[in-house]
Amino acid sequence: MSSSTEPTPQQLADAPLLKAEGVSITFGGLKALTDFNLAIRKGDLQGLIGPNGAGKTTAFNVLTGVYKPTQGEVRVGGQKVNTLKPHQINHLGLARTFQNIRLFRALTALDNVKVACRAEAFSDAAAHGVAAAALVRGGVLTAIAANCRTLVLAGWWKSLLLTPRFQAEERRITEQAEHLLEVMGLLHRRDEEARNLPYGEQRRLEIARALGTQPNVLLLDEPAAGMNTREKADLMVLIRKLRDDFSLGILVIEHDMKLVMGICEKITVLDHGETIARGAPEQVRSDRKVIEAYLGDSYLETHGGAA
Amino acid sequence: MPGVPPGLRGALPVLIALPVVVVFELLLAGSPFATYLLSIMGVNIILAVSLNIVNGMTGQFSIGHAGFMAVGAYVAGVLSLSLKEIALSFLPVAVSDQVFLLLVLLLGGVAAAVCGFVVGLPSLRLRGDYLAIVTLGFGEIIRVFVQNTEMFGRALGLSGIPQTAGLGMVGFWVFVVVLVARRLAGSSHGRSLWAIREDEVAAEAMGVDTTGYKVRAFVISSFFAGIAGGLFAHFVPIINPGSFTFVKSMEVVVMVVMGGLGSTTGAIVAAVFLTLLPEALRSAFAAMGAEGSLAQKVDQIRMPVYGLLLVALMLLRPQGLFGTKEIWEVLPRWLPRRRKGLA
Repeated sequence: MSSSTEPTPQQLADAPLLKAEGVSITFGGLKALTDFNLAIRKGDLQGLIGPNGAGKTTAFNVLTGVYKPTQGEVRVGGQKVNTLKPHQINHLGLARTFQNIRLFRALTALDNVKVACRAEAFSDAAAHGVAAAALVRGGVLTAIAANCRTLVLAGWWKSLLLTPRFQAEERRITEQAEHLLEVMGLLHRRDEEARNLPYGEQRRLEIARALGTQPNVLLLDEPAAGMNTREKADLMVLIRKLRDDFSLGILVIEHDMKLVMGICEKITVLDHGETIARGAPEQVRSDRKVIEAYLGDSYLETHGGAA
Repeated sequence: MPGVPPGLRGALPVLIALPVVVVFELLLAGSPFATYLLSIMGVNIILAVSLNIVNGMTGQFSIGHAGFMAVGAYVAGVLSLSLKEIALSFLPVAVSDQVFLLLVLLLGGVAAAVCGFVVGLPSLRLRGDYLAIVTLGFGEIIRVFVQNTEMFGRALGLSGIPQTAGLGMVGFWVFVVVLVARRLAGSSHGRSLWAIREDEVAAEAMGVDTTGYKVRAFVISSFFAGIAGGLFAHFVPIINPGSFTFVKSMEVVVMVVMGGLGSTTGAIVAAVFLTLLPEALRSAFAAMGAEGSLAQKVDQIRMPVYGLLLVALMLLRPQGLFGTKEIWEVLPRWLPRRRKGLA
């Protein structure tokens, strides 16, 4: 956003879809994340693992703008997003799911996805951006002016007057949402309230909703938590399929080693907020520090070490 | 409306409603009490339905609706008083009156909307109950401000505002607010509001500008509260700060909660019920022979009755009358299903 470091279009095109450089975040005296680096390109399928409390979800929250990094920078599509709000980062092409499912519980499955599809439907992302930026730069007066403009641009009046264009737009959103439900195998649950879906389907609906925002990078926070072996196997296939069909870069947090080792091409291991290992699954599996973090150093002593 | 061409769908309800509203006004012209009661009912419906956009659909808790109503009432009232002598000469007097009324109503609504923006912007950036506290304060500030300003007639209030708001005008605005609420609820913007109500963090992560949407919903709601106030000022003989106290705000909140947070038709039904309730109590007491004493104190015992109603509601039906649904989604389930039992 700043003028001096504005990347050229060429650089923007070549840049990784998501890049974290030396990101640290501290809460008071607690270092939740230290010098975290990550680069995700199109077609990547990476894993982020670590024992409980290692800072995996914190890393997700920094990447998606829920927390602001204390140090370092996060770039989405080459653009620095340190100061942006979560919804603005989402508009740049980053979508996520949540560890503890956060669906819109009283809405139907279809409406859950439609909320997300809305984001790009009206190209009101730009209009809303104008209002927010004006608020930062000028005082209340500029904000009022910008908000009036937004009301016109973002088409609230269109929905009140039910213009034919608005109706066409709504139909398009519905079709898109139905398509996503179909991809995730949830079309039979179309009109059911999200809270009434079984656990595994709720997880899949979260992914469908994230896809509705048309992301370039998808962050999945423990997508297999609470699933049985069968569902996990299906999920592995599904995640690979999503990456290929939607040409995404995917980052997965997962505790299930079989799943992570099975699908990820590259794994980053966190412990106490620090990156202790990074590399291909086999490499990480035999890393001394990783075993120490997961099983304790007493395990290494009795078993003679694995490295 | 499946058979209607898409170009006409936007305007169709207006074409149907306008004649109905006018006929209503003409029919009831001879009965001042019915007209007054229906007008009050209309104002209450506008207040409840507009508050429902914020409290119900967006899940933010505002308890200062009477404050915005007061802004609309006083701005429209003062404007009307100063424009009293002017008439559009090329129009019949009655039509010219309505044109002016519409104009001052809109200005009152806009004034309330601006207040809504100023109040909402700082408090809606935060999550949680801040809005309730700020709106509570705002309502009181407006009341105290009016009470101490010469222009607004201090505690005595404003009198002599032209009584031009007939049932037609009230009905028209009731219709507008219901249409806006329903169309908003069914649009992508409405879905974003529902999403904010359900889970703000998730909504934000899915690209919904939560602050922007909350503020816009609040501004729309304040605008209609201002309109309701303006209408109110143009059919009651006198407006004073006593009409816009915290009690009035609570009355509207009770209507919304009772109808079900998020249900437009619920808000309408509750508004109608709570408007008629004091009248019914009055007649009941009079019939029981409690002449003079209880019957006249209905306005004072109204609040305990509301309280009891709310307690009963929370125990028996915590989601309100219709929950988040509308009447046509709920009613079929309440009716006994004869066909199924026999077959």
